[in-house]
Amino acid sequence: MDIEVAEERNEDVLVLLPVGRLDSGNARSFESVVMDHVSSGERRLVVDFSRLDFISSSGMRVLLIAAKALKAGEGTLVLCSMKNHIEEVFRISGFDRIIPIKDSRESALAASS
Amino acid sequence: MAEELNVTIPARLSEVRELSSMVEAFGDANGLPDPKVFVINLALDELITNTVTHGLEDKADAEIRIRMRVRADTLILVMEDNGQPFDPTRDTNADVTSSLEERSIGGLGLHLVKSFADRVAYEFVGGRNRLTMEHDLTRA
Repeated sequence: MDIEVAEERNEDVLVLLPVGRLDSGNARSFESVVMDHVSSGERRLVVDFSRLDFISSSGMRVLLIAAKALKAGEGTLVLCSMKNHIEEVFRISGFDRIIPIKDSRESALAASS
Repeated sequence: MAEELNVTIPARLSEVRELSSMVEAFGDANGLPDPKVFVINLALDELITNTVTHGLEDKADAEIRIRMRVRADTLILVMEDNGQPFDPTRDTNADVTSSLEERSIGGLGLHLVKSFADRVAYEFVGGRNRLTMEHDLTRA
């Protein structure tokens, strides 16, 4: 199952906006989208959660892989605009300590530059 | 009496999406708050992923039964499968503290299931794994 991911560019930062659900059924599709960008040389990624309603650990695994790959190449991954129930999942998982989470797109872009 | 959910699905990840729609309908029928519906769907995604990935060994007739009901301000969710015996309440090895470089995703799904539920109990009965989760609805 494929996931819809909108893409927007802000100078050297690529912003990805996954839409709807990021779950066990479409995490592989999301992984392909994200890692294709990393492989093709993107170094500053923001994942904007404003259009995402659901995530499970299958989706969080993709973000962990991307964060590791980007950090190894001196790049950055910043997350932003999470709904409260999703942010709680990141907090319980301890992801908020290893991947920056910002309230707004503006803060995420500022943290990426 | 409030509506109950009682459904048996083939043990495949492709079933999770339709199941989540049923859970949303169950939530509407029972007046559950959206965050509670979210954590139930999260738990089902994690548990079904776990069963399909680790417990079935290509078993052709593998199936998962989900029952859900509300009793006295408690949401009771029972999931049964006919896979290999596995007690998810004993697995507590999720890594939620190490650095980005050292972090592993293993066990995170079950950690989330247990963190959000108020009570989780496991038993192996009649050749099936049965996991019973309770969520108090009076808690915010």
